Amino acid sequence: MRESRTDRLLELACWCSAFMVLAIAGWILFDVMGHGFRRVDLNFLLGSPIDAGRQGGIAPILVSTVLILGVCMTVAVPIGVGAAVALSEYGSEGRRATRLIRASLDVLAGIPSIVFGLFGNALFCRALGMGFSIASGGLTLACMALPLVIRSTEEGLRSVPVEYRHAAAALGMSRTSTLVHLLLPAATPGLLVGLVLGIGRALAETAALLFTSGYVSRWPTSIFDSGRTLSVHIYDLSMNVPGGDGNSHASALVLVALLIGINLTASLMANVWLRRRIRT
Amino acid sequence: MNENIAQTNPRHGLLLALGLLSLLVASCGQSRVTSQSANRLTLTGSSTVAPLATEIARRYEDQHPGVRIDVQTGGSARGIADARSGVADIGMVSRDLKTSESDLLAFTIAGDGIALIVNRANPVTELSDEQVVAIYRGQIRNWSHVGGEDRTITVVNKAEGRSTLELFLSHFGLENSEIRADVVIGDNEQGVKTVAGLPGALGYVSIGTAETDAARGVSIRLLPMGGVEASVSSLQQGRFPLSRRLNLVSSLPPEGLAKSFIDFARSAEVADLVAGLAFVPIRP
Repeated sequence: MRESRTDRLLELACWCSAFMVLAIAGWILFDVMGHGFRRVDLNFLLGSPIDAGRQGGIAPILVSTVLILGVCMTVAVPIGVGAAVALSEYGSEGRRATRLIRASLDVLAGIPSIVFGLFGNALFCRALGMGFSIASGGLTLACMALPLVIRSTEEGLRSVPVEYRHAAAALGMSRTSTLVHLLLPAATPGLLVGLVLGIGRALAETAALLFTSGYVSRWPTSIFDSGRTLSVHIYDLSMNVPGGDGNSHASALVLVALLIGINLTASLMANVWLRRRIRT
Repeated sequence: MNENIAQTNPRHGLLLALGLLSLLVASCGQSRVTSQSANRLTLTGSSTVAPLATEIARRYEDQHPGVRIDVQTGGSARGIADARSGVADIGMVSRDLKTSESDLLAFTIAGDGIALIVNRANPVTELSDEQVVAIYRGQIRNWSHVGGEDRTITVVNKAEGRSTLELFLSHFGLENSEIRADVVIGDNEQGVKTVAGLPGALGYVSIGTAETDAARGVSIRLLPMGGVEASVSSLQQGRFPLSRRLNLVSSLPPEGLAKSFIDFARSAEVADLVAGLAFVPIRP
């Protein structure tokens, strides 16, 4: 049958959309690279900010960012995996509790980050007495990342064919060993996707962190010190500091590089994991 | 072999998680000690003052080893609230205190003024106070009515809660509800960028920011206010009509570290930092 004009038009429109996505990504990268590339060197990566961030580097800010991510993931991953297992393995679909938990996850995923900031400030900084600290910021981010981690781990668990579970049961494996030896390894790629999304959301965050981890650009000595993240630093340099644009672009370049690096590592890990699974 | 992989992986994960958790607990115990010590000072408040306070704090820390001064941001209103509630030792406020805030003590560390800015491509060199009011009320909508080209005026206003907004409104006797703004912005640099990108824009930002950016070649021009040139030097001479003071506030008479820091922030030792951030040093 001859390809109709509508078919061809539709195909063209789809390709246009796809190229637009590529163009936007390319533009952002090009812009950030063009403005920041000349300023990023070893001194920038290893130095402390001087003169309100207009001079010097971003080392303490990088360390705070990584620490906040660390706290966030340490808390979000165990809770997230636990909740995902509960929802997909132990909960039955029709149950009221399961539906309620799913609904609250959707609500959590849709809450604007500034609300998480105020919540984190009230709960972690004040009620629990952690003050402006990397811990408060990381815990607030964990609340934000949880829905992403839970949802994608659940997807990962659901992608394991039900025959595997039946086979495990037929072999007399307990539920726990089925979970530990079969389901969780199989769901790892899903979990990794959730981690990458969660890390992305966490790295992008400024509003929630201004109220929780704070604004201090000094070297953190423990996770109970206040620490500024890269996004907060970029925001402050471009909005509050006259003449801060240069280092703001350079910091943006580092942030983008960090994100791309984390994404690549995660997809590499997922590949390795998948190959192992197939051999098993 | 294969079974081996399946068995070890989750355990590794668990071990790692446990390790990280114990690290968390360990650092918890450690930090309790530092946060209780008397060598720690917390400042919160105005995002305009925060970069300056951070730099002053860094210099103070260099001169007094062992002291930690944490500067947090969030706006003048939060500086007032946190100084009252004791969440912060010192609040940062980028305006004079109101009569309803007379329970607080204010210590001026720098001066700042507000300048009207237009795009450099705009030929208009001066606006009278009446014209500014009419433009912000939406009664004049085209630059040709005030001696410029035939171009629609884009009115750039500051967001609610910004002290620049409060100062601007009270100087011109305006209510925020009367203003017909096309663009609402937050921080000074955002205002500069907005006006630099729109040939028909009229906005107002901190003088120091505008002067620094204009000197760096950003496409904006400062308009004189009430016939007085908008510049840091006319501000310093006290001639510029639209000015404000940047204050540190405290609910009790400061003592110890807080007093020492406030005295330092008001001394000539930090004048270069104040000027470096495009504010006007106070005269001791």
